[in-house]
Amino acid sequence: MFATVLKLVGRRVLAAIPILLVVSALLFCVLRLLPVDPAAMSLPPTATVAEVEAKRREMGLDQPLPQQFLIWLRDVLHGDFGRSIHLNRQTGSLVGATLPATIELALFAMALAALLGIGGGLLMFHARNTVFEAIADLGSILLLSIPEFLWGLILLFVFGVTLQVLPFTGRLSPGLPQPHITGFLLLDALLRGRFDIFLSAWQHLILPAVALALAFSPAIMRVLRSSLFDVYHEDYIEQARMRGLSERRILLVHALKNAVLPTLTLAGVQFGFLFSGTLLVEVIYSYPGLGNLMVDAVRNADLPLIQAVGLTYCVVVLVINTAVDSLYVVLNPKLRVR
Amino acid sequence: MALKLQRRAFLQTAMAIVAAASSGVMRAAAAGNDAVTIGWPNDIPSWDPNQRFTPDAQPIFKAVFDQPLDQDPQLNLVAHLIKRWSLAPDALSMAVELRDDVKFHNGDKMSTGDFRYTFFERIKSGTKLDTANSWQKVQDIVIESPTRAVMKFDSPAPTAPQWMAFLGSYLVPKRYIETAGLDTFRSKPIGTGPYKLVEYELNSRIVLERNDDYWGPKPKIARVTIQIIKDPSARVAAIQSGQVDCTVNVPVREVARFGKESGFAAELNPITRVILLQVRNDLAFADENVRLAAHHAIDKAALSKAFYGDAAVPLSVVATPGTPGYLPDFVFKYDPELARQYLARSNYGPGKPVAIGFATTNGQFPSDYDIARAIVAMWKKVGIDANLEVIEYAKYFELNRATKLPEATLYSWDNATGDPEIFAGYLLNPKMPFSAWKGMEVGQKVIDLRGVADYDRRIAGYRDLNRFAVESGATIPLLQSVLTVVRKQNLTYAKYANGWLLPQSMQWT
Repeated sequence: MFATVLKLVGRRVLAAIPILLVVSALLFCVLRLLPVDPAAMSLPPTATVAEVEAKRREMGLDQPLPQQFLIWLRDVLHGDFGRSIHLNRQTGSLVGATLPATIELALFAMALAALLGIGGGLLMFHARNTVFEAIADLGSILLLSIPEFLWGLILLFVFGVTLQVLPFTGRLSPGLPQPHITGFLLLDALLRGRFDIFLSAWQHLILPAVALALAFSPAIMRVLRSSLFDVYHEDYIEQARMRGLSERRILLVHALKNAVLPTLTLAGVQFGFLFSGTLLVEVIYSYPGLGNLMVDAVRNADLPLIQAVGLTYCVVVLVINTAVDSLYVVLNPKLRVR
Repeated sequence: MALKLQRRAFLQTAMAIVAAASSGVMRAAAAGNDAVTIGWPNDIPSWDPNQRFTPDAQPIFKAVFDQPLDQDPQLNLVAHLIKRWSLAPDALSMAVELRDDVKFHNGDKMSTGDFRYTFFERIKSGTKLDTANSWQKVQDIVIESPTRAVMKFDSPAPTAPQWMAFLGSYLVPKRYIETAGLDTFRSKPIGTGPYKLVEYELNSRIVLERNDDYWGPKPKIARVTIQIIKDPSARVAAIQSGQVDCTVNVPVREVARFGKESGFAAELNPITRVILLQVRNDLAFADENVRLAAHHAIDKAALSKAFYGDAAVPLSVVATPGTPGYLPDFVFKYDPELARQYLARSNYGPGKPVAIGFATTNGQFPSDYDIARAIVAMWKKVGIDANLEVIEYAKYFELNRATKLPEATLYSWDNATGDPEIFAGYLLNPKMPFSAWKGMEVGQKVIDLRGVADYDRRIAGYRDLNRFAVESGATIPLLQSVLTVVRKQNLTYAKYANGWLLPQSMQWT
């Protein structure tokens, strides 16, 4: 099994190279087509036309577009993703500083979405052929129609402003120091042995993570329910009944194991969407992650930063897809046979 | 049985987690008497305070760094790091005497070496700094002693004292930057200010602690957390829920609401920021009749009422009330009929409108896009057909440099000093990138005034210029901008006419 997974990862890594090249080329071209002059933007307002021209030459912007891309690619291969125009810092370090926050949020949200999705799917299936089926169906459609940013605002209003039980700005309460180790705040708090920081970070994570989870769990619910319907037509379910197993055991032990595979594929796709969904949620909750950085970059027409963050999103999605496919191989014995 | 036990254990764990999450959550906000949390709309662009001119970042910089001169709440220049200063009559030099009891946060003593480094050496070294523009006239700074120096200018610099208290003019530590390096300074900045930076997380929060060795009055608040909350609604929610003690730039309607709630105080503070239309002197606006018609057609009082709760003062010149260049008796009246007459002189009217381009930002300052739409409607009534386009604020200079701005652009201009040179002297100077107006009939007057060293003559000149510029349609001032502040009622602060909200001026009562 390990060898199969390793092979899969190897194949995915190889395939990722042309994908990343194409995506970065597309991103590069689209950004260059925007009516924004990075040279002019990187200089103070008082810069003369001659100074802007000189800067343009220095940045290689007077070269043909393919040449510009090759220069950018060469720099990237040397670990230089460019300098942010607005913040005058290496974009690589900016991404590095904000990515852990977003990964932490996305992972927590995905875990919640999976929990809600699988739990909800099981309940919906359990409620089949009852009066609750239609209600559950309607409820899941309703949940599906509310986007993550709206959930963000609703939760903020209810739990942050009205009930005042959860914080909704940043990652940590004022008065608590930020333990700078890995950037993953929950982990860092544990490494420092600071339960108060851990608790505060966890509290700050709840609302944005739930907002994301609520938006993405209904799809998991519905796919799981549908898979369970399919699985229940298989012979082994009937055989399990004949062996005298309880309905609960059949559902949770035998049917779920097989029905969860298509759900896993969906979850992989959903995680990509969820990761990009952090963009608006991070702004609403003043959460200092990659999404917040991207919004700033777009607002300031900071092309090098947009390019770096865009590429990071692409890499993260590729990694997630590879991880999900690997997990699929682990869970599905049929895929291990060559 | 096993399943039941697991379920019970799961439920118990979940209950414990929810209880833990709920308990003590609002401890976050419970700042004691020696701490305050401020909800701030923007992060700083860099911790090098000389690097970028960002008006909104000045109160944060002023907490960590000191400026050579300062302003009192009424904007009078006052001694600060500089004890005494003397601008030569020809404004070609300025002698300064620094305090001798100032230390940087690392214990290094501040001296004229740091002063020369900040305002001359690091600018000439090629480090990309916005202060290279404000101090481009500095030819040299001659050090006479650790506390005395003379700034030499290559051309008259009559506003040098004002600039000593303005954007980017913060004293930085020469020895620390040269030994630790610029990157270290930017990540671990030290200044001489009343607070030390103890923590900074990009786009999230800034934590400051009182500098107990500060040479000046010690701040009352020992610990300040500046929470970066970019969304105005989130800032409202944060103050409402008690997660911050004070916030700024909330929607005007929220000020009225918070004003009625117990435990809160809310204010609309007029500040030295003007909202105006930057106009070109060509295209359809080459015709003075069209420009003047465009100005007479705008009901500024209605804009103030609709978008700023009547708190924004309608302006007739590019200067705010109380500043030296302001003309309290001059009123450019709202008169749509007169606007129609002007247009008729150029054969335009409601039946045959003149087409112009009009640019605005959306979200750069409160209600900018709504103001622009209202102006389009007002213009339509008299016979001006404006094609409204939204531009990014970051693109204003690029478009202006390439002469791609339309006839009119809605713009906001901040001038914390209140000096008329930094209003009309910049906004109407055709040689500067801020001005869309390139006509020399106004431009030459501005250029001439920039060399006038005598203060009274300079101010009188700018007052004349302000009137002339408006009467010739070279600019269309609209409103004095306002800063909205919502705070806990028992948190007070010094109200500066330029909108500075300084943590060092705050205290709990």
